[in-house]
Amino acid sequence: MTATLITAPPRRRLIELAVKRTLMRVGFFLSVVVIVSPAILVFLWMLSLSLKTEIETIAYPPVFIPEHPTLANFVQVFRASPFALYLLNSIIVTGSATLLALAVGIPAGYGIAKAKAYKVAVLVLIARITPNLSYLIPLFILFRALDLTGTLWPLVITHLVITVPIVVWVMIGFFESLHPDLEEAALIDGCTLWQAFRYVALPLSKPGIVVASILAFIFSWNNFIFGVVLAGRETRTLPVAVYNVLTFEQISWGPLAAAALLVTLPVLILTVVVQREIVTGLTAGGVKGG
Amino acid sequence: MSGGAALAQPPAGAPGSLWQRLTSGASADRGRPYFLFFVPALTIIAAVIVFPWVFTLFMSGYDWKLAQAGTFVGLGNYKGLLTDDRFLSALLRTLYYTVLAVVLPLILGTVSALIFHRKFPFRGFLRGVFILPMMATPVAVGLVWTMMFHPQLGVLNYLLSLVGIPPQLWVYDPGTVIPSLVLVETWQWTPLVMLIVLGGLAALPTEPYESAQIDGATGWQMFRHITFPLVLPFLMVATIIRTIDAIKAFDIIFVISQGGPGTASETINIFLYLQAFAFYNIGYASAVVVVFFALIIALSLTLLYVRQRTRWST
Amino acid sequence: MQGRSNRTLDISRRRVLKAGAGLAALGASPLIAAPAIAQSGFDWKRLKGQHLEVSLTLGPRADLWQKYEKEFEELTGISVGSEKVPEQQHRQKVAIEFSSGNTSFDVVTVSYHVQKQLYGRGKWLVDLRDLIKDPKLTTPDYDFADFAKGAIDYATQKDGRLDTVPINLDYWILYYNKELFAAKGVSYPKSFTEMVEVARKLNDPKTQTAGFLSRGLKNANVPVWTSFVLGYGVDPIDADLTMHTDGPEAIEAAKIYQALNKDCGPPGVAGFNWNECQTSFVLGKGAMWLDGIGFSLPLEDPTKSRVVGKVGYGVMPPGPKAQHSALFGDGVGISASSKKREAAWLYVQWATSKMMNERHLEGQYGAPARASAYEAVRKSGKLTGSKLEWLDAMAGSIKIARAGLPDIVAVTEFRDIFGVGLTNMITGADPASELKKATEAFKPVLAKTEKA
Repeated sequence: MTATLITAPPRRRLIELAVKRTLMRVGFFLSVVVIVSPAILVFLWMLSLSLKTEIETIAYPPVFIPEHPTLANFVQVFRASPFALYLLNSIIVTGSATLLALAVGIPAGYGIAKAKAYKVAVLVLIARITPNLSYLIPLFILFRALDLTGTLWPLVITHLVITVPIVVWVMIGFFESLHPDLEEAALIDGCTLWQAFRYVALPLSKPGIVVASILAFIFSWNNFIFGVVLAGRETRTLPVAVYNVLTFEQISWGPLAAAALLVTLPVLILTVVVQREIVTGLTAGGVKGG
Repeated sequence: MSGGAALAQPPAGAPGSLWQRLTSGASADRGRPYFLFFVPALTIIAAVIVFPWVFTLFMSGYDWKLAQAGTFVGLGNYKGLLTDDRFLSALLRTLYYTVLAVVLPLILGTVSALIFHRKFPFRGFLRGVFILPMMATPVAVGLVWTMMFHPQLGVLNYLLSLVGIPPQLWVYDPGTVIPSLVLVETWQWTPLVMLIVLGGLAALPTEPYESAQIDGATGWQMFRHITFPLVLPFLMVATIIRTIDAIKAFDIIFVISQGGPGTASETINIFLYLQAFAFYNIGYASAVVVVFFALIIALSLTLLYVRQRTRWST
Repeated sequence: MQGRSNRTLDISRRRVLKAGAGLAALGASPLIAAPAIAQSGFDWKRLKGQHLEVSLTLGPRADLWQKYEKEFEELTGISVGSEKVPEQQHRQKVAIEFSSGNTSFDVVTVSYHVQKQLYGRGKWLVDLRDLIKDPKLTTPDYDFADFAKGAIDYATQKDGRLDTVPINLDYWILYYNKELFAAKGVSYPKSFTEMVEVARKLNDPKTQTAGFLSRGLKNANVPVWTSFVLGYGVDPIDADLTMHTDGPEAIEAAKIYQALNKDCGPPGVAGFNWNECQTSFVLGKGAMWLDGIGFSLPLEDPTKSRVVGKVGYGVMPPGPKAQHSALFGDGVGISASSKKREAAWLYVQWATSKMMNERHLEGQYGAPARASAYEAVRKSGKLTGSKLEWLDAMAGSIKIARAGLPDIVAVTEFRDIFGVGLTNMITGADPASELKKATEAFKPVLAKTEKA
């Protein structure tokens, strides 16, 4: 979108502009590479570590592509923990905690944004601010007293402390950025508050919902400490599997990298699936202008 | 706003009630019962955190070591904290760590968001790749980074040697451990900032840009005067979330350095862990929780205040 | 058939019936050929149908026990739900569970050097002495006397309660690289001074070879220092709570620690725990490595180690006044809140039986506590070559073993406070002043926690 020109530019200037544009394109391309490479490289390195035998793992200079790739590390991960069980538990716990958080958090974000009730927002934030460690002992005692420790309930309930604040906070931001005129119009037409929310504000906040769900999901999925202390033997979640491969008297970089990859894999797959949602969600955007 | 005057009456009854006081704000909801929208969320949160908080506050007044009888000491634990050198050093380290771990991702995240806001081939795929670090389990990633940091076998020193930089000690040296840990945090959480800011960028109107272009503004000027102010609320959200997470950072530090070498990376949260789960001083640890919490609240309120100011100025 | 061993039944007929029943049950399981344990006449199936929850620390012992778990289930008809939890998380979890007054597990493994006073004071575990003495509950060939006296003393609380059975002992030895020694023509050090000399001689930064490998990471590094302190004839803290940590012996020991790590250690050793040391050693980058004998397994594994066949296992050299191998250990106990004590005791008996101890030693899962295991394994000739050397080092260490950490409640604070000081010494701090500072910091903690 160049400015309209009144006179045709001289040739030299055209070449200058073309060069400048190419340089900018190259510069842009390089900057993309620069920002994306740390992410991809670390994961590629993780993959490389997971496929190497011990002796190749501790080689120096480091071996990037293993000469004798092996799946033994992955086998060990599965042997070290009941992986499928942990995976299932993680799905149930995180899925429930996220869905519940969305159910109560989206309206909450709306209410707080509309009412500009920042004091309430801070109250919600308290759950996020409290160090996770301080929940452990009291909640364990509580759940033990209620005899719930063999079930998944303690985890789902505790994970709400993680997911609800995230959803609320992200949604506050998004609802605030919505222009109030549309809802005002609906209210004037006789809609109730709920209807204005449900049929006007909610659809417009889709990008926010997408971001909020992703964040809530990730933070809940990756939580390690609750899964160790508050979960029982059969209700452990996936991140715990990572530590289980640390065989006590052995070097285990390979199995560790394999475990790291496997534990992260479900979330990576989710990202790929959700990618399209992010694209549509974010580009649909909010209300533009008045 | 035109019209709507008829609906602007405050609900009958309950003036000055607790809810109204909590939910009132300058020209806020004109008395509409928006509070109903957030009651469920509040109830859930209150239900889960009430008992732990009561427990913690109660315990903080005791000198209780696990498996032994406790004695009531009132404010003794808090007094102890004020004179505990180790705690005070942990405080300073936490601030150092937090500042670095918030500023770096903010800058890199905003730059990344600007880049990803432009269209280019494979953008969707690359964006997915870019956010991978944030998805990975911190515990898992921390252990992988520990391997990468190894002074003799780690791949990082190898990469440095390729460009002629001498091997670093990374997390094995008290002087470089915190920057190394911040490196990992930045790697992991820049995508979060990027995502939030990108959401903001996507919601930006196009007219101001068009007018600015006609007026002949440069890219930087457009950023500074159009983009930045409009994206500021999102930056503030990102800042608040990042600050709270960075102060509380635990998994990464614990997994990689356990607060070492010595106490070089011992932040308040690590100190708390040691007191509660290594030394079993539950009473003292509870006091740490309270002080820690107060600190974070103070910081968050400051940030919120700044945020409110910026909202009103746009 | 409710067999109570003091009922007057025809012994031989009962024996045959028992053996038959045992064999028939075991015939179904391909894992086991009738274990000797089932033929004593003791009724293992007395509590059949119950279920036990077993909480194990992740490690070789847990691997061993889980491997043969089915055998126990067949033997007793008791079903077992067991879990291995990594060390740090396990300790956390155990503490939290016990503090809630009601644990979800019946049997638990613990570390003496970290938790002994904790569970001792809290009386979290059942006193086993009565169980052991009761012939109704304990199999006649349990042979409690078979356990090494040192191990039992180590496991016994100060008030005489025996609330665990020792299952593994970790003796500290000096691993050394025979090839590096031969190249410079040095022989195994016979004193602390010689250790330092050898370390200096073999230290070669140009080839990235460290003369001496040991833990520098705070908390983990304290046993290295106490290993030297013991060689000066003192304990870091006496049984009567006198502290020797700032005395001349402790300072000399710290100077040795400093010399070895600062001058002869690999770069970054301040952050090294056992696994970093082990990694360096198997790469052939360390001439000596002072650590627990339990870490030896991967050293002779060709898929993991570059120094297969070159590893020497030496008993800790003598210090100026004494020769001791620092001792640490783990035990197994029964939760005091368990409602299935007798079933749990059956599990413990099985796990600490002669048979299991032999498997433990043979498979190099560590160092079991029964003396018979050592005799049996030696006789069987199953361990040869370097493995035999390993066994010899162990035997030598057992004779001179002494607890490497003080038997106090605040042992973790001890490791932490002195560990920080030791790490500071690696980066150049003065040993005497660091020890003084640490001792001053620890004195009040010790006084307060031991008082109760």
